Amino acid sequence: MSNINGKIYALNAITPMKPWKTLVLRGFFFLLGHIKPLQQDLINLSFIEFARWVVLPRRQFPFLGNGQVKEELQYDYLLFFSNFNGTWNQYIDAFSAVLSKGLNLVWRWSEKFPGAVPVTPFKEYIARVQFDTDYYYTAYPHAAANDLKSAHIVQASLDSLSQRAQACTPEQFADAYLRFVLEVQAHLGETGEAPIVF
Amino acid sequence: MPNKNGTVYGLTILSPIIDDEQATPSHDLQIRKYLATLPTGEQSPFALAPGTHLARLVVMDDVIYVGMPACEEHLKSKYLVFESNCDGELDNYLAGLAASVPEHLDAIWSHCVGYPGAANQQAFIDYMKACQLETTFYFAAVNDKSVPETLRALQTQHAVADFIADHQGMEPARLQTEFARFVAELKSAPVPRPGSMGQPRSIKTGGRNE
Repeated sequence: MSNINGKIYALNAITPMKPWKTLVLRGFFFLLGHIKPLQQDLINLSFIEFARWVVLPRRQFPFLGNGQVKEELQYDYLLFFSNFNGTWNQYIDAFSAVLSKGLNLVWRWSEKFPGAVPVTPFKEYIARVQFDTDYYYTAYPHAAANDLKSAHIVQASLDSLSQRAQACTPEQFADAYLRFVLEVQAHLGETGEAPIVF
Repeated sequence: MPNKNGTVYGLTILSPIIDDEQATPSHDLQIRKYLATLPTGEQSPFALAPGTHLARLVVMDDVIYVGMPACEEHLKSKYLVFESNCDGELDNYLAGLAASVPEHLDAIWSHCVGYPGAANQQAFIDYMKACQLETTFYFAAVNDKSVPETLRALQTQHAVADFIADHQGMEPARLQTEFARFVAELKSAPVPRPGSMGQPRSIKTGGRNE
């Protein structure tokens, strides 16, 4: 079992919801998906590489026959999968501090959700509904979400400069190069192995 | 479509695991045992097959009881959860997995109900789609870059930092020549392998944590 690979942590959580409440939650996710400013806090946190919520209605668990017994459930379920940088405690703390309103709108429809603030019962709840990852792969274990964003900025700046470089005089190139250095200087952080977390 | 965010596809699959009292060890345990020995770096099946940014495999034993006054209920099957963040269209991605690492797919999913094997590519794709869940909300920090583009950009970032450090104060004509050579070398360099830890650093600050 490993929830961690390099700089990434895999969180899985499942929570039960009364079926009528899933309609409300779907409505919230529809708005969140279509009104981009509502995602701004999620984007600004900048340590989540990918995350998803899946509403799984009680009668829509995959059923393939072949001797499989059909599920008979009272609750719909909300599945949450997150890929984030840092430790579990840092993640839940930041979620609680920055996204408490948004998280409440997502999980308040789940049974026994205590709210994202105060953080202690919130952590207890997440720990209770979390299940561990058996296998975790990332194509770039040495990079965090900010490294990815920065690397693409550096690549775009370099591509732009190299396109112009050949047509420049040495003096013009020196000016363009200086502007390039100013553009990328904040995006050259070293990637590598994750620090040891105690 | 909620399964996609930009050009990145969020695949969620729940495959019911065979429940056979005669099997020793049980099928879910056999999956876990296999996953525990599967490489996670450059030799990972997801590194050998094209298009995976991040992926996880999880045996979900049951739903979770959160306590009174909620009702306690249990699943009749255990499920193998496959969560992947991948490039492009689903059919191409699944076909790439089936073509590149069929032996791993068979070793894992042969413990699941109705799995047809990866040799028959269309049957494999149809099976995976039968087990697929629609994502309700999908977030991707970078949603318009493929795996090779990202690996290339990380390589560029590293190389640019070194180039800038090594060429401070150089006179313009020579700097221009050196830059042209640098860009040409970078373009001809192979894309780093997915799952690798990148170039080793001279400064050590720690190790992979667990």
